Amino acid sequence: MLARAPKAWHGLFLLRPLALPRIQGAEAGQVRYRLLARQGPAETGKPGQPRGPRLQTRLLITALIGAGLGGAWLALRAEKEQWRQQQRTEALRRAAVGQGDFSLLDHRGQVRCKADFRGQWVLIYFGFTHCPDICPDELEKLVQVVRQLEAEPGLPPVQPLFITVDPERDDVAAMARYVQDFHPRLLGLTGSAEQIAQVSRSYRVYYSAGPKDEDQDYIVDHSIAIYLLSPDGLFTDYYGRARSAQQITDSVRGHMAAFRSVLH
Amino acid sequence: MAAPSMKERQACWGARDAYWKCLDENTEDASQCKKLRSSFESSCPQQWIKYFDKRRDYLKFKEKFEAGEFQPSRTTEKS
Repeated sequence: MLARAPKAWHGLFLLRPLALPRIQGAEAGQVRYRLLARQGPAETGKPGQPRGPRLQTRLLITALIGAGLGGAWLALRAEKEQWRQQQRTEALRRAAVGQGDFSLLDHRGQVRCKADFRGQWVLIYFGFTHCPDICPDELEKLVQVVRQLEAEPGLPPVQPLFITVDPERDDVAAMARYVQDFHPRLLGLTGSAEQIAQVSRSYRVYYSAGPKDEDQDYIVDHSIAIYLLSPDGLFTDYYGRARSAQQITDSVRGHMAAFRSVLH
Repeated sequence: MAAPSMKERQACWGARDAYWKCLDENTEDASQCKKLRSSFESSCPQQWIKYFDKRRDYLKFKEKFEAGEFQPSRTTEKS
C-alpha cells in the first residue's frame, strides 16, 4: 500500500492537464475542488489497486443479507415447528378423550369408564378367569409391577385393571372372586358381549373362545399384552409376555419421569 | 362352573409339575407315571388337562428346536 501510493498520485497528476481544457472558463478553485473530489474514487477504482474498503463493504452487506435470510428461515421453521406441535397436542387431546374409551362394570357392580381413571397411570391386562396358566402369571407380574412402584416414594399411584374377554362366564361375581387373589386395588371389569368386543377392538386385542367340552368348559385364546395408559388416558406403551416385572417397572418409571400432560 | 380358585390353581399346577417331572425322568414313558397322571387329572379341570398336554408337546418341541435337534422331514425339506 505504502509503496504503491506515490505512483497513484503521480498518475492522477498526469491526468489533470487533459481534463483542464474541457472545463474552460471555470474558476481555478472550482477545478481544484473537482480534482480533489475525484481523487477518492479514482484511487480505489484503479485496477491492481488494493480494494480493501469496498470488498469489506460488499462482504458486510452480503453477510447482513445472508444473516437476514437465515434468520427469517429459522424464524419460519420455528413457527412451523410450533404449529406442528400445536396440531399434535390437539390431536392427542382429542385422542385422550375418545381413544380406547369403555364403559364396563367393575367387580363390585359399579359402572367404570376410561374418564374415571384420568389423572392416574393405568395398567390393563385382558384375560379370563378360567385361564389355565398364562393369565394368572401375567396378572401376578402386573401386580408385582404395581407393588414395586407403590413401594417407591414420590411416584404417582398406578391403577391395575383386568378386563375379561369371556363375558359369557365372567360376570361381576366371578370377577370379584378372581381379582381378590391378586391385589386389593385390582379392578376386574366385565360387560356385555358387545361391550367387551368394542373395548377389545379399541385395544387391538384378539380373542376367540374354543370348543366347549361336556362340562361346557372351554378355553379362550387371546392376545397377551399389558397396556400402559398415561394420566391423560392416552395409550403410552405395551408389554408382551417376554418382559419381566422389573423391565416393566423400569419402563413405567421412565414414562412417569417424561410425562407432560396435554390436557388443560 | 366357577373358575378354579388360587388354591385350586396351585394344586393343579403342582400335580402337573410332578407328572411332567416323572415324564422327564422316564423318557416320556407315561406307563411309569400312571399314579401321578391320575393325581394330575383329579386336580385340574378337564379342559386344562387337554391344554397342558398340548402345552407340554409344544414346550418339548420348542426345547428340541432351540437345541438344534429338530430335523425337518424329507418332504418338508423338498417343498
